[in-house]
Amino acid sequence: MILGRVVGTVWATRKDRRLSRSKLLLVRPYFYYNPSHEAEQLVAVDCVDAGVGDDVVVCIGAPARWSLGGVNYPVDAAVLGVVDRCQLSREAFGHRRHGDTAAARPLSFIGGEQPRRLEWIGRAAGAER
Amino acid sequence: MLLARVVGNVWGARQAESLQGYRLLEVEPLRAPTGRAPRRSLVVVDRLGAGPGELVLVAHGSRCRDLTLGETVATKEATVAIVDQAEVCGELVGGDA
Repeated sequence: MILGRVVGTVWATRKDRRLSRSKLLLVRPYFYYNPSHEAEQLVAVDCVDAGVGDDVVVCIGAPARWSLGGVNYPVDAAVLGVVDRCQLSREAFGHRRHGDTAAARPLSFIGGEQPRRLEWIGRAAGAER
Repeated sequence: MLLARVVGNVWGARQAESLQGYRLLEVEPLRAPTGRAPRRSLVVVDRLGAGPGELVLVAHGSRCRDLTLGETVATKEATVAIVDQAEVCGELVGGDA
């Protein structure tokens, strides 16, 4: 699952009939998540009535299909939760300080954008301020 | 799924038997307005009749392929919808065709 922000909505009339009742949201992931194709945005089916601007959890792959209630949906991503608050370890993320190597901090935010209501935890949190 | 714009048709003079009769489209995933990702494109199999300029939804995976095209088609990418309009960061984007 990945953490992302809903940045838009997608409307389609000509589509696979099994998508006919699905609300489609455009989500921008916060972190690099090794997608099959390097894309900055992905489209996910909404299961939790999320809206534009919400931080959401998106499930990718076959489980996304199961969450829609079956295996017969041509879907590979679903929004499964709206995020109220999240805590992240500062050590793991790409807050680069002088002398850091990219390899030491493998994760970074795409475009520098961060989730709202984000709390940093971990040892480095105090040291940096 | 990916939101992508169709940039062209692909024809193969000789192609695998499992691709015979299917339309191939070259598509380019829509990039974020502020994004820095390089332009990339991929080839998808289309059964909906999308044409160059249109926005399509591309699903990835063998199960999506099974459901939309059939189990014997040699691809992992299939179009599942032709997008009328999308709102991306407050801006409306539609097909050019």
